[in-house]
Amino acid sequence: MTKTSNVAVLGAGTMGSGIATVAVRAGHRTILYDLTEDRVERGLTTTRDFLAKSVKLGRLTPEQGETANANLIGSTELTDLADCDVVIEAVFEDLEVKKDLFGRLDDIVAETTLFHTNTSTLSVTAIASGSRHPERVVGTHYCNPAPLMKLVEVALGRHTADWAHRVTSEFMASVGKTVVITKDMPGFIVNRFLIPWENDCIRALESGLGTKESIDAAVKGNLGHPMGPFRLLDIVGMDIHQQVALRLYEQLRDPRFAPPPMVERMVSAGDLGRKTGRGFYTYDDNRLFGS
Amino acid sequence: MPYFEKIVVVGTDALADGIAAAAEAAGCSVVRVADASDPGGAEDALRAAYLVVEAVAEDATAKHDALRAIASLAARTAVIATTTATLSVTELATAVPGPERVAGLHFLHRTLDGAAVEVVRTDLVAPGVLERLSAFVDELGKVAVEVKDRPGFLLNRLLMPYLNDVVQALDDGLASAEDLDVALRLGLGYRRGPLEMLDDIGLDAHEQATDAAFAALQDRVFAAPPLLRTMVATGRTGGASGSGFHDRKDHA
Repeated sequence: MTKTSNVAVLGAGTMGSGIATVAVRAGHRTILYDLTEDRVERGLTTTRDFLAKSVKLGRLTPEQGETANANLIGSTELTDLADCDVVIEAVFEDLEVKKDLFGRLDDIVAETTLFHTNTSTLSVTAIASGSRHPERVVGTHYCNPAPLMKLVEVALGRHTADWAHRVTSEFMASVGKTVVITKDMPGFIVNRFLIPWENDCIRALESGLGTKESIDAAVKGNLGHPMGPFRLLDIVGMDIHQQVALRLYEQLRDPRFAPPPMVERMVSAGDLGRKTGRGFYTYDDNRLFGS
Repeated sequence: MPYFEKIVVVGTDALADGIAAAAEAAGCSVVRVADASDPGGAEDALRAAYLVVEAVAEDATAKHDALRAIASLAARTAVIATTTATLSVTELATAVPGPERVAGLHFLHRTLDGAAVEVVRTDLVAPGVLERLSAFVDELGKVAVEVKDRPGFLLNRLLMPYLNDVVQALDDGLASAEDLDVALRLGLGYRRGPLEMLDDIGLDAHEQATDAAFAALQDRVFAAPPLLRTMVATGRTGGASGSGFHDRKDHA
């Protein structure tokens, strides 16, 4: 891969705009695509704001900031992606939508264009089956917030070609990410171990082995985690935890992935965490860090 | 004036050293005893102690012997703390005279690295014992977390299935040992990855703990994965052995 490439990010939500930031600040010409002008504009604003903040903090020079802004383009037309070397899909977790996008892009881009999917819970192989060239499809799971988190989990589908893997590694190096290679298995590595861990902590709370405070204190104090499990769940959101846990449970059928009853009770009660002001803890201020 | 003015620490390993040093730093007068059954002149110290900490090897017979000897000498008003990680504190307590004096004091790290210490409650414990032990933990500059006397207490109960799961995933080829650790460190901000943690704990110590939990709970999440057994059997136990999931030379 040449030093700068043409990159497209599909989906201008939190992950999409974050990944666009990652690509554009590394010098790649980046198209942020979504279905409506409104969504595209919101995503572009998020990326521009992040770049402006990076310049203010001295993490980018003013020139780098200007170049990045000039390289950032919005679009609602897939045909605008014809020259792209890498297309990164970060739309919502719906298999048919993702397959359909890759299928339509087959007719627009070159055969050598890489298709990356940022799915967190779906099968890379299943998403790849939407393309007539599944060998070009690679799972690249970024962590939220993408511009700040170094890790990308790279998952290879059944038909992923060696060249696609190699060029993906080069692309990740160009954007400064640390890559781990994992199989196309539900939850890859991080969610594969995080979800049962969080569920086990909830079960320990349900069965009175500790309180939310004591479990958080014991975990944070002894395991070197940046925060305890219940503080983390309040940030993630109980609705998100429930969705991810159920999707993994449906595929793995291992009871440790099944959300314990307390999760459903909290979601029903609207106690989703920081974003609703109450989860395991209560919050006077709903703002999440960084927003 | 420290909460427990006179303390006896029984045992000779790193954990006993660490507890004795921390208690001394907190202003306690500490007497060390290697073998409670043969205290070699320390009988008076054991009789006069307000707190006796049993920190002998994690072995049922050794623990029982030490606690029996301690309980026969210590005052009825003294507190006796066992540092067991894998045995039932209640079971250990009921085997000695004055079981209401006994509670658990579980340091997750044998080097006292952790910020939190589990104070284990039995069904027999006398009023005030747990509060006094918690005050002692506080004086050591750590956070006391009161827990039930259940296999693995709180932290190991949570930790063991996670560690077993990662070892099985490694054996299944989900990713390399290096990548599993990197993913969990960078993805979740953990200070150490699970396999690095196992190397530090010692694979043999983990195997012993998870076997004990499995025997008590019959829950397959505590069943030692075959790869763990193989590595322990071949001496790749992490820690002092110099080889485990990661070769020590790579991490120097």
